[in-house]
Amino acid sequence: MTLKIWKYFNREDLYECYQCARCTGSCPALQVAPAIGPRETILKCLNLGHEEVAKDPRLWLCCTCNVCEDRCPQMIPISELLVALRNSAARHGNIPSRLSMAIELLAKTGRSMIAHQLDEMRAHHGLQPLPSAAVDEVQAILRKAGLDDVVEF
Amino acid sequence: MKYALFLGCAIPIKYPGFEAATRLVCQKLGIELVDLPFSCCPPPTTMKLVHYDSWLALAARNLCLAEEAGLDVLTLCSGCVNSLKEVNDILKRSDSKRRKVNKILEDHNHHFNGTAEVTHILDVLYQDSVVERISKQKVRDLPLRIGCHYGCHYFRPPRVMYPDQLSDAGSYVPVQMDHLLSILGMEPTEYSRKFLCCGSPLGANTDADAGYAITREKLEHIHDRGIQAISVICPSCFRQFDMGQVLLSRKSKEIPKIPTFFLTQLVGLALGLSAKDVGVDVHRVKSKKLLESIDVN
Repeated sequence: MTLKIWKYFNREDLYECYQCARCTGSCPALQVAPAIGPRETILKCLNLGHEEVAKDPRLWLCCTCNVCEDRCPQMIPISELLVALRNSAARHGNIPSRLSMAIELLAKTGRSMIAHQLDEMRAHHGLQPLPSAAVDEVQAILRKAGLDDVVEF
Repeated sequence: MKYALFLGCAIPIKYPGFEAATRLVCQKLGIELVDLPFSCCPPPTTMKLVHYDSWLALAARNLCLAEEAGLDVLTLCSGCVNSLKEVNDILKRSDSKRRKVNKILEDHNHHFNGTAEVTHILDVLYQDSVVERISKQKVRDLPLRIGCHYGCHYFRPPRVMYPDQLSDAGSYVPVQMDHLLSILGMEPTEYSRKFLCCGSPLGANTDADAGYAITREKLEHIHDRGIQAISVICPSCFRQFDMGQVLLSRKSKEIPKIPTFFLTQLVGLALGLSAKDVGVDVHRVKSKKLLESIDVN
């Protein structure tokens, strides 16, 4: 199933980019990992189409720090483009396994962290046990929103 | 002053000391906290990237719980505040998205109306009336060179997080934590690349070593300025600095370890709470000697 990413990001904004690479120069992920970088991501969306970009696993090498967008002289909402591209990638199975495991945990427990010796740890700080999340309700909401199309839980 | 306390996941499960410190500090300052059956926020670094509509719907459920209680939401994490503030903003502005989300939530008798505001503990403590109370109730100074790390999602993108405080160029640079800590007698110290990411989301989602390489760069700059302690307002940033320094020190011992604190722990210490009360005893990078050097036990 293809995601119509232009529902989430205004396609015309791509043409505002004049490839100055200020975004890429400020990208912390690109400094330490073989990420695509925002400038090239925009260029590839224009030249190859977003569906090609969504196949590239390097798309996930990102801190989501939003500095690219902060520094864009054309004020392109780059973070929204990156969110839309990754949603599209995930739908096609291009998703890091650690991330899909994190989503599965969230869907199964209503929380993003594994509880381990929790009551003891909380008691050490003088705190009551943590009530469990409303898992049934959370799961019903996530199913109705369509999460299980992307990550099984 | 009364808020619905949004603990998130990492704080109550991995760092309950931050929760304890926050509850004690708020009690001392007359800020009433109400616990509601919130779930995960869900994070801007996971669910938003994987399934946008689920991100909207689950965040909306959390916002609805606060609306139903007639309270604003107080968060303790840069990620939580980012998701909840942005979803609140999106659903207030978009009729179609609000309709879609309300259709999902109606089975559970929730309806998003957009009547609750979302804030972060730093902004709550930084209000004039609270700063006044902190100054009055402070029993000791904490004379340490402190490096503030705000966490990207606390203030970016500023068009969503602080739309009323943008500069003419549309940018925003937070100062609240530096100001607040100077009131505690600390010496907030600037350092190169202060607003660089901690590396956490990159590390958590894809490549842990790459994430810690970013942390390492920050730590080098922090060390260069003779900073004695780091203050954070997000549990993910905290983990990156605290656990991160332990892992990085296995590869290289060039930089001595620098203790990291969650903001409310420092406020608590200045208000007279003990190191054990605010839970710094369980941090991986120990702060006992540093705190003893300023007569805090």
